[in-house]
Amino acid sequence: MMLLLPLLIPIVGAAVLLGFGANGLARRLAVLVGGVEIVAILRMVLAVYSSGPLQFGRYLRVDGLSAFFLLNVALISSLALAYSLDYLRHTEGERFSSARWFYALLFFFMFTMVGVCLSSNLGLLWIMMEATTLASALLVGFYNTRGAVEAGWKYLIVCTVGIAFALFGTIVLYLAAIKSGLPPNVALDWTALMEAAPRLGSGTALLKLAFVFVVVGYGTKVGFVPMHSWLPDAHAEAPSPISALLSGVLLNCALYTLLRYDAVISRATGTNFSHTLLLVFGVLSLVTAGLLIVVQRDLKRLLAYSSIEHMGIVAIGVGLGGGLGLYGALLHTFNHSLGKTLLFFVAGNVRQNFGTLRMDRIGGLARAMPKTALALSLGSLAIVGLPPFSLFVSEFAILSEAFSQSRVLVATLFLATLSVVFGGMLHHLFGMFFRESKQPPVAPYMALSEAVPIALAAAGLVWFGVHIPAGFKSLIDGAMAVL
Amino acid sequence: MDLVQLAVGKTLSSSAVFLMLTVLLLAAARRVSTGIILFALQSAIITAQVMATAYTEKSAEAWVVAAMVFALKVVAIPSALLWLVERLKAPRAIQPSFSSAKGVFVAALMIFLSYAAVQPYARQSTVPEDNLAAAVALILTGAFLMVSQRKAIMQIVGLLVLENGIFLAALATTFGMPLVIEIGVFFDLLMGILIMGVFAFRIRDTFEHLDVTKLRRLRG
Repeated sequence: MMLLLPLLIPIVGAAVLLGFGANGLARRLAVLVGGVEIVAILRMVLAVYSSGPLQFGRYLRVDGLSAFFLLNVALISSLALAYSLDYLRHTEGERFSSARWFYALLFFFMFTMVGVCLSSNLGLLWIMMEATTLASALLVGFYNTRGAVEAGWKYLIVCTVGIAFALFGTIVLYLAAIKSGLPPNVALDWTALMEAAPRLGSGTALLKLAFVFVVVGYGTKVGFVPMHSWLPDAHAEAPSPISALLSGVLLNCALYTLLRYDAVISRATGTNFSHTLLLVFGVLSLVTAGLLIVVQRDLKRLLAYSSIEHMGIVAIGVGLGGGLGLYGALLHTFNHSLGKTLLFFVAGNVRQNFGTLRMDRIGGLARAMPKTALALSLGSLAIVGLPPFSLFVSEFAILSEAFSQSRVLVATLFLATLSVVFGGMLHHLFGMFFRESKQPPVAPYMALSEAVPIALAAAGLVWFGVHIPAGFKSLIDGAMAVL
Repeated sequence: MDLVQLAVGKTLSSSAVFLMLTVLLLAAARRVSTGIILFALQSAIITAQVMATAYTEKSAEAWVVAAMVFALKVVAIPSALLWLVERLKAPRAIQPSFSSAKGVFVAALMIFLSYAAVQPYARQSTVPEDNLAAAVALILTGAFLMVSQRKAIMQIVGLLVLENGIFLAALATTFGMPLVIEIGVFFDLLMGILIMGVFAFRIRDTFEHLDVTKLRRLRG
């Protein structure tokens, strides 16, 4: 029952919003439903933390790994929900673009992401991943401008095709499992697959084929280069709270599915095949996105490319494996969520005040809006991986793993790209901060409901950079033990 | 020999050929509505194949799946898409970036390629080679339709053909996935078509055309 609640609450909430909620009431209703939902998720995480995995029926299960990602879902969603309260005040009540629809779709989106973390069956996992695309496509197209409609359509088509390949990969894995003697009704069950993994080895060719399709499929949603084309458009055109959710939660959920498959395949084949594939995609994404960051003109597109870059770093950590690599990767998903959420929130504030996100049209930020400028510089310094922010810790862990395995090429590319990104970000920031502005904002504005989430995210970045709490550390250890 | 058994045997052995035929016709289609009807026809062939499998495997689940495929892919989705074409008043003729002749040529190449691709796997397992090749051919053609066609609706048809291919692959290799999963996939498909329909209206309203190649504002 504890597992069912976090799935039921958002669905009921969305239904109530669409059925009864007037647009005026929508915000208050959203806070209520969102709050209850977040408490329900946290309660579940806490239960797993104190007493181990929970199972409900044949299809739902939480273990250490899902608990870690559920914590991420809960934290970032609560920040985004709080931030959206004031952010949405200018939306007029058109259909699909009203506050009512915004929150209803947001709850559907949360439902699907919680569903991804709770699925113990790989088929159900696929259904939930596809549902994340469907739930968020209308949110990406929320503003209904030309750019938003185009980005939404592209997102829908590219990700649906990508995910279709993942379904094919899942079917191939199912075939391999059945051929190794697993009964059809458990052949897609993750725990059963993990237990039977040594026996699956007979169909190595099939397993490798399955993983190639899965990595291309779910990799599309993670944003791996070269399947990333939807990502910058969707992140840039979506409303800022949604951009934060896409970057901070959805990408992590997609990566989480890859972790599940990677664990089964690498255990069954007894080779590094799946790790190597992730490593290759990781390096490719890191380097390509890192170079593209330098030439960006739009602030949110720049942040989107930075997300691709960081997903590349996480994939490198997973691909390297080892204790430190995996630890760094998991920690990095969490740190990146915090940092990117902060930055997308600040970008939303910049857009509200300047009316644009074109970086060459933004200037004098340091003098006109000191609070926003401070948050933006904190976030940027964190995201490029400077100490004392937490991304430094996780990137350092992954890098030391690369050195200890003497993967010189990976480590060199990693360091070189990070320096390029550092230079690029600094260049863009200096421009926005100190350039003479053509039209400075009349009265800089930042609502309390925007400032608090931004401050919380910044505090988190510093806190986790200086000291990782013991409870959080053991949560990561629990997640690593599952793999 | 029993008449039903004869029909089942013929269905299983010849459906791959008919599916390949729809692939070639789809590649040559010049109207959106033709494409939709061809998709419905293709789904009808797959329905027959699911029914034949259900009969030989004596599986009640497969009968349910057959009913769902028929209701959804032969009736509901094609009629919804035809309604959409009517409502959007999109010019019916499609201008693919390929001529019909070239399209058929590419499709034929893809069928050839599919046979080559499934060779090693078909030899390994007891899976009928024709059906597996047809599945791969459908997946490839679906992807080809999506990149070569300009109209939003035709991209949806391409996606549906691709999905048909994946469904057929599951059917040919493992007699389909567990029923609960199959229902979930169908539900996703239905919601996907619904949301794509919403977007088709929005593209028309904001751009005054349905030509997705002209959606070119966002780059890089």
